[in-house]
Amino acid sequence: MLKSRLKQTIVLMAFLTMSIFLLASCGESTGDEPTGNSDGITIFNSKMEIQDQMLEMAERYTKETGVPVEVYYSADTVSAHLATRYASNSPYTLSMVDAKDVYSLAEEHAVDLSDEKWTGDTQYAISIGDKVYGFPVCVEARGIIYNKDAIEKTTGEKFDPAKVSTLKDFKALIAKLKKGGMESPTGVLKEDWSLAAHYLAQIYEERDDPDAFVRGLSDGSVKLVKDKKFNALMDTFDVLMDNNYAKESAISAEREVTEQKLAEGELAFLFGGNWDWSVISAYDYTKNMGLMPVPQDMKDGMNQMLVGGGSKFFFIDSSENTSDKQRQQAKDFLNWLVYDEAGQNFIVDDCALVPAFSNIDKAVGDPLGASVKKYADANKLIPNYNYLPDDHYAILGAQFQKYLAGKSDRKGFAKDVETYWKTKTLTPHEN
Amino acid sequence: MERNTMSYKTKQFLMFAGPAVILFCMVIVIPFAYGLYLTFTSWDGVSVDKPFVGMANYVSAFKDAYFWSSMGRTIIYSAFAVIFVNAVAFALAYLVTSGIKGQNFFRAGFFIPNLIGGIVLGYVWKFVFNRAFVAIGEAIVGGTVPSLLSSTGGAMFCLILVSVWQYAGYMMLIYVAGFMGVSDSLKEAAMIDGCTPAQAMRNVTIPLMRTSFVTCIFLSITRCFVVYDVNLSLTKGEPFNSSVLAAMHVYNKAFVYKDYGTGQAEALILFVVCAIIGIAQVYIGKKGEVQA
Repeated sequence: MLKSRLKQTIVLMAFLTMSIFLLASCGESTGDEPTGNSDGITIFNSKMEIQDQMLEMAERYTKETGVPVEVYYSADTVSAHLATRYASNSPYTLSMVDAKDVYSLAEEHAVDLSDEKWTGDTQYAISIGDKVYGFPVCVEARGIIYNKDAIEKTTGEKFDPAKVSTLKDFKALIAKLKKGGMESPTGVLKEDWSLAAHYLAQIYEERDDPDAFVRGLSDGSVKLVKDKKFNALMDTFDVLMDNNYAKESAISAEREVTEQKLAEGELAFLFGGNWDWSVISAYDYTKNMGLMPVPQDMKDGMNQMLVGGGSKFFFIDSSENTSDKQRQQAKDFLNWLVYDEAGQNFIVDDCALVPAFSNIDKAVGDPLGASVKKYADANKLIPNYNYLPDDHYAILGAQFQKYLAGKSDRKGFAKDVETYWKTKTLTPHEN
Repeated sequence: MERNTMSYKTKQFLMFAGPAVILFCMVIVIPFAYGLYLTFTSWDGVSVDKPFVGMANYVSAFKDAYFWSSMGRTIIYSAFAVIFVNAVAFALAYLVTSGIKGQNFFRAGFFIPNLIGGIVLGYVWKFVFNRAFVAIGEAIVGGTVPSLLSSTGGAMFCLILVSVWQYAGYMMLIYVAGFMGVSDSLKEAAMIDGCTPAQAMRNVTIPLMRTSFVTCIFLSITRCFVVYDVNLSLTKGEPFNSSVLAAMHVYNKAFVYKDYGTGQAEALILFVVCAIIGIAQVYIGKKGEVQA
């Protein structure tokens, strides 16, 4: 009897210990994650290509200032990842997000930064109402990437991107390239974000009042087939498409292969942005590349400008999980990025980003970034339209791919775009 | 020791089933209930408040044409995949139990694809379809050959092919066990009674392997219905979103398009459809089971 009692107690104890471990192990999984009201800041980085530099910088920053900095990265969708952090009450002190996330998150989760000094030195910060919430990390812009070496070698003439601004000029140059032996001088990225979020978005962005145009699409008063901008941009796209090296299999062309061909001079033109440098620089590239505006037959001056603006924004958490001390430390860190030489070096040299602040006049290393800086300094950036619905790029990207594959024509594509917008209820926003 | 008391029974239950029950509740029951609750809110995934909207999410889920077309594709995909997975698995199992040389080696070999994660497998096959097959095709035809993945039917075909390649080895193991479970004496008796080997297979072996079929078909149906990893890495829904299967659409809806409530409601519909088909299949399959 005693023996069986003993046995039972042992089993029960064993069970209890196991359950405790079980629970403990569940609790522990949050152990290595940012903790609430302590000293130091946690940073969420959503720019994969600069993660190594961020980690290294965090170490240096801590050494320099004594403020502990931890950097985290996640490959998840930004908003989905932050949602899990907010759900578990452990948000980051500083989160790097996309513009549209600032609009959806800031009012509930972010600190008003209007009083910061840097707000006077940038035109790319995001404000909602009269409050500044988003600190711009860098400037990014899109246009046509050209390979100057390849063009000059094939045509035997000097290439000046400023002289190729109308479709006629562009076609003439392409004819020359073909004559010189370059059979297919262009590439087209088939990715839905490139087609719909970048190329198609230009039809909204490249006009005086994008909001009015989108409203017009939504209530059906805009007829795209008769729209000048749409036709001008699609005319240019047709030229890119017809001279595409992968014309027969345009929708299975891989981005890496296309950019490699551009880097090595097999292609002369590709619609893209300065973020493409991280891909191009992995190959045998030439430094003589750059970004030029999309050539088009419009007299609105838009063919002299790139489309772009601030990209990736920091906001500071306003919840009670972050202490005032941490918030101050986060503000100090943002100031360090803008005004301290080490911070400026970090943005420009280490990460090879185009700074979003006018007081930083360091030269940008990569040629595409240098083009962006040139246009930004000359005030020749058409602002991004940050209010497109979240499914815009995926749904219209698929329709654009159909067009690229020759499965639909311009009329059909225009109708697809109109149909998409008709089902959308627009959310009001302030500019 | 009184064994008929409530406390004794509770203790016994806790001792043996306790850990499993706690784990099951924590990772299945509670999240499921919470998810169910979220389908009645218009939560965007991040916001602090979760406004209650009643059945609105279900209404918009039923109206979501993209969801139903992805559901239709999933059913077509599953139908083909389930048939081919089981046909191939059964054939393989027959071959590796028929006493050929090195059959253990072959069993291991056919099983290996199942050990590779779906994501990796998708990328490997993507390379095969986009580069290797294209290169071979070009060498034979001479001109440029478009990749299979770039046409709408082709992408679905690729998905089915890869799924068969991935799952057939796993199902084969279950069929192997089924084959080994059928006693040789029964087959011999049938042969002595004048059956050809094919007749013995059809009238003796297959009816006795019914459990294996039920298990395998159930497993393959449920897996095919919620496939996501291969879909993501092999086609990513391309071209033109024509290979977006239901699970991928649900994920996109909830997390990419930030329509969390509707996405969650669609996930629940997917679960119900999957459960109904799975249970019906097991029920029908079990009904006619024979014992030797």
